[in-house]
Amino acid sequence: MRNTRVSIFAMCVGLLALAPLAFAHHGTANYDTGKQITVKGTVTGFEFVNPHVQIFWDAKDDAGAAQKWQGELTSPNRLSRVGWSKSTLKAGDSITITGYPTKSGSHEIWIQKVMTGDGQELQTGGGN
Amino acid sequence: MWNRIGTIVLAGAASIAIASALPAQTGPQSGMAKSAPAAASAPTSPHDFSGVWNMHALPAQRKFLGSIYTAEPPEMTPLGTEKYMAYKPSNGPRTHSLKETDDPVLKLCLPPGTPRIYLQPFPFQIVMTPKEMIMIFEYDHTVRQIFMDGRPHPEDLTPTYMGHSIGKWDGDTLVVDTVGFNERTWLDRDGHPHSDQLHVVERFHKVDGENMVDDISIEDPKVLVKPWKTQLNFQLKPGWDIMELACTDNAAFEDFEK
Repeated sequence: MRNTRVSIFAMCVGLLALAPLAFAHHGTANYDTGKQITVKGTVTGFEFVNPHVQIFWDAKDDAGAAQKWQGELTSPNRLSRVGWSKSTLKAGDSITITGYPTKSGSHEIWIQKVMTGDGQELQTGGGN
Repeated sequence: MWNRIGTIVLAGAASIAIASALPAQTGPQSGMAKSAPAAASAPTSPHDFSGVWNMHALPAQRKFLGSIYTAEPPEMTPLGTEKYMAYKPSNGPRTHSLKETDDPVLKLCLPPGTPRIYLQPFPFQIVMTPKEMIMIFEYDHTVRQIFMDGRPHPEDLTPTYMGHSIGKWDGDTLVVDTVGFNERTWLDRDGHPHSDQLHVVERFHKVDGENMVDDISIEDPKVLVKPWKTQLNFQLKPGWDIMELACTDNAAFEDFEK
């Protein structure tokens, strides 16, 4: 139960040093790259598809209310080259996602960091 | 010698680091980086560009090379500025959402053209024959032929997305001249335009067995005030294969975006 509890917080980060590279596909108009948020929860879906791999997960806010989240990574090919596959995540896995939130405040994240339930960090770059 | 040994050690260390960061159920994948044995057999002939190459952005280029060739935009003619302001790019300072953009690559899956294809963040493979040098880009499996058999550009070219390319050696530098473009592509992901007068001159040379430089001059008197010059660096990836990437899959992606 504990590990599905949401922890949402905005982090002030050194954005100049961490200026995001462009997406493989589209631009960043939908995202607020001025801050990052972290959302912890349980994976409900994992789509290893072009142009951007998608993770879907359930989280709960501090009041215990359920929230559905989704986030996008780079392409399957680039992630394959740093070891990902279509089986890297599966429904039921505990996960902690950090990345840029949308400007609209919707429950979507441009994922920068993925931590699995056993504390491993998965590379989210790949390629260049 | 020591550089080579250092490279091998670093490659090996990187592989171990990558492997240790993965969950146990993740096995080796096609296209995944391999280490020392393949790197040691990399071709070293300055006239052999065979292999899989990946863009390597220099530190000073990392902030912009995802979408444009230089830190500063090119100086454009009034016609160039007019065309640029009419476009709705997804990337760069005039960013638009995926629903709003009219980027011909993102919206219509058109071939990116030359040299924009290099800005798609995926590797390409070079195959060399006596007739031509073939570039097989991972992005949408786009193919570019550079004819090496001494032929000139045809007199009455039919315009194409990737243009008509001919190559000849200047010492150990391969000079590739490309003309014959249609006007359905952009020069970059920021939406800088070109006309049917686009002329791209590239000078490829190998720095060593694992690194290649492409000095590019983008010339278009209708749209650019002067040639737009840049240098792209590519690294040989001996353990990589070109993988499938179909642009048509992108069409479903807008549904993911709110």
